[in-house]
Amino acid sequence: MLVRINQKLAVVLAVLAGVYLFLSFNLPKYQNAIIDADMVPKGLGVLLLFFAVLLYFDKKEETEAEKKKRTMTRGNVLILLAVLAFILIYIFLLEMVGFLIMTALFIFGCSLFLGYRKHVSNAIVSIVFSLVIYGLFNYLLKINLPAGIIPL
Amino acid sequence: MDAFNGLMSGFQVAFSLQGILFVFIGVFVGTFIGMMPGLGPISAIAIMIPITYSMDPTVALVMMAGVYYGAIFGGSSSSILLNAPGVAGTVATAFDGYPMAQQGKAGKALAIAAIASFTGGTVSVILLMLFTPILSAVAVSFGPAEYFALMFLGLTAISSLSDGSTIKAFISATLGFMVVTIGIDSQTGTSRFTFGNPNLLEGIDFLVIALGLFALAEVSTLVLNRKDTTMNDNKDLGSLRISKEDFKEMSGPMTRQSFLGFLIGVLPGAGATIASFIAYITEKKLAKKPEEFGKGSIKGLAAPETANNAATGGAFVPLLSLGIPGSGTTAVLLGAFLVLGVQPGPLLIQDRPEVFWGIIASMYVGNIFLLILNLPLIPYIAKVLRIPRPLLISLVIIFSLIGVYAISFNTFDLYMLVVFGIIGFLMRMFSFPAAPFILAFILGGMMEQAFRQTLTISNGSLAIFLDKPIALTLIVVSLLTILVPLYTGRRKLKVNNEDHTGKTL
Repeated sequence: MLVRINQKLAVVLAVLAGVYLFLSFNLPKYQNAIIDADMVPKGLGVLLLFFAVLLYFDKKEETEAEKKKRTMTRGNVLILLAVLAFILIYIFLLEMVGFLIMTALFIFGCSLFLGYRKHVSNAIVSIVFSLVIYGLFNYLLKINLPAGIIPL
Repeated sequence: MDAFNGLMSGFQVAFSLQGILFVFIGVFVGTFIGMMPGLGPISAIAIMIPITYSMDPTVALVMMAGVYYGAIFGGSSSSILLNAPGVAGTVATAFDGYPMAQQGKAGKALAIAAIASFTGGTVSVILLMLFTPILSAVAVSFGPAEYFALMFLGLTAISSLSDGSTIKAFISATLGFMVVTIGIDSQTGTSRFTFGNPNLLEGIDFLVIALGLFALAEVSTLVLNRKDTTMNDNKDLGSLRISKEDFKEMSGPMTRQSFLGFLIGVLPGAGATIASFIAYITEKKLAKKPEEFGKGSIKGLAAPETANNAATGGAFVPLLSLGIPGSGTTAVLLGAFLVLGVQPGPLLIQDRPEVFWGIIASMYVGNIFLLILNLPLIPYIAKVLRIPRPLLISLVIIFSLIGVYAISFNTFDLYMLVVFGIIGFLMRMFSFPAAPFILAFILGGMMEQAFRQTLTISNGSLAIFLDKPIALTLIVVSLLTILVPLYTGRRKLKVNNEDHTGKTL
């Protein structure tokens, strides 16, 4: 039944539209409004459902380029997930440890992981970049990035 | 203030020390980011937004405009040198620019591109200056019905003109509109789709969407292609000299495409990309030796380069006069305006003349900078392309994270950024265009408000649109832009199928 990739996508989108519509119908009513807050969301939900149906019945074959775009080797998937993990760790620790240390570590670690082998220039770039950005934001733009454990 | 005085006061802004400095920074950074394969003007503008937070709005916007056309120019450099366009608008530049570079004439190709960009950019600024006040004057009388219709047209046009599947483009636009309904409804105060999370009450910041959907998604593409070593080629650029004959050959396409490119840029949905392709095709049709196209033709390089820069100027017309962006890039630019507390629209010229004329005047200056910056510095700029990919990836990720953190000081938004990065990546993977999403996100809030205001005036009756000729015409055109591609797409398919069955029999 779900032969083409577009049909699978259409089902996912239809489910999404269903959830969205369900939530839209459960929005609290506001007595005095002629046009209430739920009108546009309801319309959008129906619209998405409509396009999902169109996509399901769209017979257009996938082009080679499109197919190539969505096929990834297992190795690449793992690398992307690892970079994602790096980012999540960075966000989690940013306010606790502070911008300077986390940013320098992230740039060094992430570049190293992705295959940058010149350790000295990597270290210089990560430290100098973090310092310059920190200085630029905190002192020039007056936007305070988290200092964390270094009291600067 | 009349146009001449306005322009003069604009030049005062542009020629102030601050003005010159920031136009220069904008153009330089734009060129730099635009050259990176995969990073386009949307990422460039989004990355630069946090830098502008505490700046004077006029100076900040002057810089942003510089980033925009700098990025377009930067994209053409990487198209010519590497056959790797950084921006969709410069894909056509590679058709003849890259063959020229392969013939050892990279320097000449870059010089032609610089001059063509300069011409296209300058002509379009002049036209922009003439047209925007006229359109603003007309738009002052527009009510919510007309605005709703205009934005609706912008959205349907960008969806039906984006490449790939039209249905997917419309889905992308619908999803963008849905995301903007998250948060407190501005008219009734109802909180919608927040799941009780206080961080969602104010809605999702547009920078989260812009950086997630574009910069982070582009990063994941860079991760996948990180072993690409074409950037390490240190080719000899050759001479930058352009002979008189070359210049003669360029002048025809440059003149025509400056005007055509501008017009296409003004239209909603069509931008630099479409302008450059149309320019390439029309010049090929007009050329006496069309067979030279694709093999390093000067005309074939000058035409799309002129047109994409002219279209960039054209795209500012609806943005400045109506406050309605016609493309993904101008949508992000509108976000930059709003962050700085400047509302573009018909009243901009009256209320903030220094901003309006400052931007226009700075575009003249910026175009000159681009020419100065690019001609002698080309060999050095080309070295930029040799930044190791792993380092580039890490830096872009950090820039995106800082950008979001600096507006919200809240790690929740950083997690949202990652979520939209993943959504952007999946959209790329399954060939959903991202530009309609961001445009719908930017326009969605305004559209909903205009729509509900209109219906409140009419007490809930849709018939009000029938009484407003301008709004009605625009809506009819919009519906046509939805239905025509869906219909012709289906018919083409039918014909193809019949052909196919015919052959097998």
